[in-house]
Amino acid sequence: MTLVYLLEKEFKQFFRDPGLPKMAIAFPVLMMLVFPFAVSMEIRNINLVVVDSDRSTVSQRLIETCTSSGYFNLVDVCDDPVYAMQLMDMNKADAILTIESDFDEQVERGDGAAMGIKVNTINGTKGSIGSAYLGNCIRRFYTDYKQADMGTIAPVIDVSAKYYYNQYMDYKVFMVPALIVIAITMLTGFLPALNIVSEKETGTIEQINVTPVKRSIFILCKLIPYWLVAFFVLAACLVIARLVFGYSCAGSLTLLFLFTAFHIMVTAGLGLLISNYSDNAQQAMFVTWFFMMIFMLVSGIFTPISSMPEWAKAITYLNPMRYYADAMRCIYLKGSSSLDVWYDAVGLLSIGTVMVTWAVLSYKKTV
Amino acid sequence: MVAIDVNDVSKRYGDCQALSHISLQVEQGEIFGLIGPDGAGKSTLFRILTSLLLPDSGSASIEGFDVVKDYMEIRKRIGYMPGRFSLYQDLSVEENLDFFATIFGTTIQANYDSIKEIYSQIEPFKERKAGKLSGGMKQKLALCCVLVHKPSVLFLDEPTTGVDAVSRKEFWSMLYRIRSGGVTIFVSTPYMDEAARCDRIALIQQGRIIDNGTPQQIVEKYPYTLLGIAGHPIYPLLKFVRGCSGVLSCFAFGAEHHAAIDTALTNADDLKKKIEAAGFMDCVVREIKPGIEDCFMQLAKGGNNGK
Repeated sequence: MTLVYLLEKEFKQFFRDPGLPKMAIAFPVLMMLVFPFAVSMEIRNINLVVVDSDRSTVSQRLIETCTSSGYFNLVDVCDDPVYAMQLMDMNKADAILTIESDFDEQVERGDGAAMGIKVNTINGTKGSIGSAYLGNCIRRFYTDYKQADMGTIAPVIDVSAKYYYNQYMDYKVFMVPALIVIAITMLTGFLPALNIVSEKETGTIEQINVTPVKRSIFILCKLIPYWLVAFFVLAACLVIARLVFGYSCAGSLTLLFLFTAFHIMVTAGLGLLISNYSDNAQQAMFVTWFFMMIFMLVSGIFTPISSMPEWAKAITYLNPMRYYADAMRCIYLKGSSSLDVWYDAVGLLSIGTVMVTWAVLSYKKTV
Repeated sequence: MVAIDVNDVSKRYGDCQALSHISLQVEQGEIFGLIGPDGAGKSTLFRILTSLLLPDSGSASIEGFDVVKDYMEIRKRIGYMPGRFSLYQDLSVEENLDFFATIFGTTIQANYDSIKEIYSQIEPFKERKAGKLSGGMKQKLALCCVLVHKPSVLFLDEPTTGVDAVSRKEFWSMLYRIRSGGVTIFVSTPYMDEAARCDRIALIQQGRIIDNGTPQQIVEKYPYTLLGIAGHPIYPLLKFVRGCSGVLSCFAFGAEHHAAIDTALTNADDLKKKIEAAGFMDCVVREIKPGIEDCFMQLAKGGNNGK
């Protein structure tokens, strides 16, 4: 009864707040409509300068192969490597391909031809991916050339790669579950913490503390509203992904919601924990922000965990977002069943148990 | 019957001894005032008695229930109004009241009698958000919220701080009405003039009770003859009087200075002559009755202030 009434009060306050209800709607919409396009890791429009000392039909074909791949933007073809370097210095070129003067002869003879690739790695990802693309283009040109023009049957190993679970390597599909993870984490990490701190700031928490309301009930009434808000956000994200991008969840929706429930337990627990140790909203904001940033950066959302150094990998085991992001991607993209992602559930539940227990214990009714 | 029993309670925050060896008894159905300046430890004692804070040592009980062991029992019986307005500003008057009634397992209707007199004054505004009320109305609402579950002991921590003179007077008459219903009221205030309105008071300074009793008893215990001294210019006069022989202490009280004197060494006429001789203008020296504030200053001065 008390719980019902406390909840009624929370919802009244939530819907009366000038910003919160709007934010709960605007947040998922923005996340799903804007970020899948903006937060793309696909590299396109790499500005390419070719230093062609050969000027033969062979070198011309190589350049065509590169530009037709769609990844490169041919800025200039010149003879002077110094000029090309100047272009890169002026940020007009991201990559320089150098073709030697006897390139056509070398290719005709079937010898290996020496070429130079210089990439601008101010943006590391663009640089490394760009040079890989360029390497691929040159290899493709070489095999094509051998087969078509020479008529010789070179021992060509044809490797065909097939991308599973995201057939066209569409970055947006890959990002949809990740963005859901971020949206849910942000909402449920910040809102309950700020709510409790604001009760501290206005002094109402002290009024509640002198009543016979049990602390577990009080904390529960702070969690449940945001639990529901998070489910609403999750549903909204899934609907938007379906309507706008035509993506649908490959696995079970129930599982998706179940993992979200687990994850909310962790983030809301963390939020409460932080609010217990903060005296005002600024402190709570800053500390929550700090943890959210760390969680996000080492969650595997943006950079794969497998490529992290060992010590960083060790840290990710303490990161609830790692488990949640992994589970969400597996379920959404791959259609994994509960048997495939049980370890994510174990990870989330164990961190969650620690967080919530600590939060309840540290919430002394003494201020 | 003793409603509040405090026994040798001490509390320390780090280096600061907030309360040291506080003992006092409050009888049922009386208005007991805890009088002291800011930082004297009043709020700390309130928090211990309302089970929000644990004492380092000593014990306290409310109507026989220990504040540490039986805190749940205590929370059902007390009403606590903290110094700062702390109700939900985004809920309406009625919603706030309804909220506090419900978490105590009761309703406004069931206890309407106990809050009627105060609530009827703010009832016309019951749809208004608590944050939009005036200071006096906020205070009435806060009082309603602590009364709605019919507590038998009320704790009011500096209820009149920041409230205008008229509302303060009105507030005290509300307290008398509440007391007539048999409710024990434990109230703190930094205003000495409010002390006289209490049935009994305790003076608190730097975490120690320096005296307690009825306001009358405390005033009667004042050991010296007190003179009210007026004249111009006023501040040099204070310094001058402090330097006169036979003056034990002298404090500024608005337009007048209150000086405690040793009658063996000086008297009103003698002092007046000295002051006039020193060139002060419009000089008036008269014997006055000490108030609570004079008693407090005398008890609190600890040998260095005012001289």
